[in-house]
Amino acid sequence: MDDSTDGVRVRALDTIDIGAVTRIDERIGGRYRPEVWERRIGYYLRRDPEAALVAEIDGEVAGFMLGEVRAGEFGLEEPTGWIEVLGVDPDHQGKAVGRRLAEAMLEHFRARGARTVRTLVDETMGDVAGFFERLGFEPATLKPYVKSLA
Amino acid sequence: MSTREALLPARYHNAVERWRETFIPDFDYLLEQWPQHFPKDPQFKLCAYRECQVCPHIECGQDKGKPKHVRAATMAPEQAHHLFGAIRAQASTEFGSIQQHRLTLARATSEEEQVWVLRMMAEELRHGYQMLHLLVEDDWSAVAEDSADDLVEGILAMQTGSHILGAFNIDFDSFLDNVVFCALIDRVGKYQLTMQKISAYKPMAESMPQMLREEAFHLATGVVPLRRLMVSAAKDEIYVTTTDVQQTINKWLPRGLEMFGDERGGGTNVRYGLKPKKNAEAQSEYVAEVQKLIDDLNMRFIRARLPKLKLAEAEALRRRVIEEGETVQGIAPEDLVRMPHPEFFRRRGVPAFQMVGFAGERFQRFRDYAHHLRQHLPSAYLAGRDFRDYLESLRQVVHGQISAVEASRRMPTLRRVAGSCPCSRAVRWVRDEPLEPSQPQAGEPSQPQTADAVT
Repeated sequence: MDDSTDGVRVRALDTIDIGAVTRIDERIGGRYRPEVWERRIGYYLRRDPEAALVAEIDGEVAGFMLGEVRAGEFGLEEPTGWIEVLGVDPDHQGKAVGRRLAEAMLEHFRARGARTVRTLVDETMGDVAGFFERLGFEPATLKPYVKSLA
Repeated sequence: MSTREALLPARYHNAVERWRETFIPDFDYLLEQWPQHFPKDPQFKLCAYRECQVCPHIECGQDKGKPKHVRAATMAPEQAHHLFGAIRAQASTEFGSIQQHRLTLARATSEEEQVWVLRMMAEELRHGYQMLHLLVEDDWSAVAEDSADDLVEGILAMQTGSHILGAFNIDFDSFLDNVVFCALIDRVGKYQLTMQKISAYKPMAESMPQMLREEAFHLATGVVPLRRLMVSAAKDEIYVTTTDVQQTINKWLPRGLEMFGDERGGGTNVRYGLKPKKNAEAQSEYVAEVQKLIDDLNMRFIRARLPKLKLAEAEALRRRVIEEGETVQGIAPEDLVRMPHPEFFRRRGVPAFQMVGFAGERFQRFRDYAHHLRQHLPSAYLAGRDFRDYLESLRQVVHGQISAVEASRRMPTLRRVAGSCPCSRAVRWVRDEPLEPSQPQAGEPSQPQTADAVT
């Protein structure tokens, strides 16, 4: 996980990266949400710390990816790797940061015994869908439904 | 990636369970709270986990490429001696931290943080169990005088004050100690576990991955509450101030730096394939990580105090306050936290007893330095025996009554004086006897040192 081809170094996320993850999220979405990331990173570090990754360029965190292997979701009983959060600093997009993170994540999922990896992508975010398609992901028959309870 | 579980023989397993009843009396409460706070997480289990399929070959040192040792008997005597010391010391730290955390666990400011620390204590117990498993399942008689029974009893009988490393002999005074300890001292643990992941002793290498997974959460148990405390401080809530946080960092960071061992040492571990880095290299990487943590805490404070600031504006403000010493938009340098100088308040290693101040300034007079420490350390800690003993040793060094090396070696060591129950309080607070001239001195990196190879 530590190799640094392309100048991108992927490593396990550490609690000292909470600030960097918050910063990237803010740069992407325009909202400062430290409480969200404190809670979520605490969760992922507890569940499967090797599926919480950051990518560094020149020692600075340029992207992050969070996931875990679970079984039993939506009737899918086999161990499945779920990629749940991906963020790449806008200044570092196009530098293979996301791809390197995904490669490391998939390698970890395989080591954990997963034979399938799944994620959910908002169709309005065409660049994200394209990213996963370039990695070999295909549209699945599992379709999300949503209903407001308001 | 898969793990297998192993249990200690029943009499040792039961001894650990009895120890747990004494030192984690809230264990049943943790199990009750588990589904609420950790839904879907596997229930805690007291056992040793061994990772399957670790690298079978020695990864550094003079025997790089050869098969890893599966028995201590095949190791060189000095190599086995170093390894044995590391395992025993690590076991001591795992059990020792639980004894510290329990003192102030009830003072947690939220139920969530309390349950997090409680889970962390249970996992530290499992880590100690893992180290006992290494000691019990192999034959260490070539390097250890004690039988397995005595080794287990000796470790389980240690109390705060008789543990092998200084950081585990200091009482907690508030819940701030719990979280700063997790943030700083467990971070040293992460370094040691990471380095030992490549150990030339295969059972050690197999023991590290699961411990490291659990350690990641232990760091969060410290860092996340610490970040929240900085927000409270920024909002002028009176319970915790940045001065409190700073003083608690000052209390623990020097002990954390010393856990890496003497800055000149570590070469033996690398040569024997037990760790990939010498002490100074690992320590300097740790310092850089703690600096990042401190920068992060300051940003959390600034953005909580001035929520309308944009990211770039907040970063610029932090630089002006920290680097230029300015007061900007009401935030003064003393409102933020800083990294103490790595030589501040040291009692082991190269800077031991050198009277270096918080910012790296040097003191000539004992009285001035004692006053300086008083300004930078928590008042509750100043009233304790650890600080009293440090100050007395320093006074003797300054007045030429003992050398800094002798003072460094004045660490309490275990002396069993009575009793056989592992949970008995059969240990007294004692000091090492004065060294014979022929004995190795602290700070000699070529000599085997317990503190040279431990978590």
